[in-house]
Amino acid sequence: MKIVLFSDIHANLPALEACLADIEIHKPDAVYCLGDLVGYNIWPNEVINEIRRRNIPTIAGNYDYGIGRSSDDCGCAYKTDVEKANGAVSISYTNQIVKTEERHYLRSLPSHIRLEYQLNEEKFNLLMVHGSPRKINEYLFIDRDEKSLLRILEQADAHIMFFGHTHKPYHRILKDENGHYRHAINIGSVGKPKDGDVRGGYAMITLDESFSLSTADSLKVEFFRFVYDIEKAAKAVEDSPLPNEYADMLRKAY
Amino acid sequence: MSALEKHRYTKEHAWILPEGETGTIGITDFAQSELGDIIYVDLPRIGQSFKQNENFGSVEAVKTVSDLFMPVAGEVIEINTNLKKTPTLVNTSPFEDGWMIKIKMTDSGELNSLQSTAEYNSRLGK
Repeated sequence: MKIVLFSDIHANLPALEACLADIEIHKPDAVYCLGDLVGYNIWPNEVINEIRRRNIPTIAGNYDYGIGRSSDDCGCAYKTDVEKANGAVSISYTNQIVKTEERHYLRSLPSHIRLEYQLNEEKFNLLMVHGSPRKINEYLFIDRDEKSLLRILEQADAHIMFFGHTHKPYHRILKDENGHYRHAINIGSVGKPKDGDVRGGYAMITLDESFSLSTADSLKVEFFRFVYDIEKAAKAVEDSPLPNEYADMLRKAY
Repeated sequence: MSALEKHRYTKEHAWILPEGETGTIGITDFAQSELGDIIYVDLPRIGQSFKQNENFGSVEAVKTVSDLFMPVAGEVIEINTNLKKTPTLVNTSPFEDGWMIKIKMTDSGELNSLQSTAEYNSRLGK
């Protein structure tokens, strides 16, 4: 079975449309969205409606959580004063333009999706979260200490965990004290990549009867990148009340 | 007299409050504010011993993880179990309810290498 996961669209409709077209090439059996549909660009309603139209199971990201509640806090953990000032403009603007029905959808999204498997003798769990199982806006970067990352998976009873939020994709394989291999997979960002590659990104796993917790490399994980009309998305930012820096970030992927 | 008169500080923004042969250890208000919302505090086990400046645990916040270093050498005699359920006590009460461990100091003379509250605050530009 092929499972595609994408995340962090951030109101970038040209990126989402290109992403969905790219996904179709792989003919996946299931597609999931790990949240942050809105914020930082002009198409939050269109992104929500495209995902709803396709019946894609979706969990809430921290930005969705904030907008769903008409809050002025997106849980974005901005560090600098410039980041905070820009962020305040983005969430205020997003709150202004998101419509009632679309906001209600965001308000109703679940926090996590868990799939329980038994393909052979052993049982294992696949868990989808936005930031981490314990906090919607926790950043799990690639350099997270192994002991810490393993503890997070173990406490959530997750053997394969998918998450986004950092906008930087990676796959780490962790061996627990029972000798089982667990997988932490950051699926990157569709509409606001921050890893220096301006293309949008998503992930696909192939899960079949050959999967085993006892074998490190029995899970096939692929990261795909797709081109989209970055200028259209960047100019939309510049022609809106949003700070121009968000356009620059799309053009340079930071 | 400052309420933090007896506290001593490390360059890594940890504090220790010495009481006789024992000392209570935590991180400063400046440290918690830099870290942001704390999600998990990884603490050692009772009975473990550490040297001065040795890593004894870590603090996991929303955006970053920070290691914890011993202000002075000692053996852990108590840990703040409340942090397991409510790690944000470190944010809301860094000098009191958010304390992390209590130790039996190996050599209280090591306290002399640490900064006073006035010295620490002056370093922060307060």
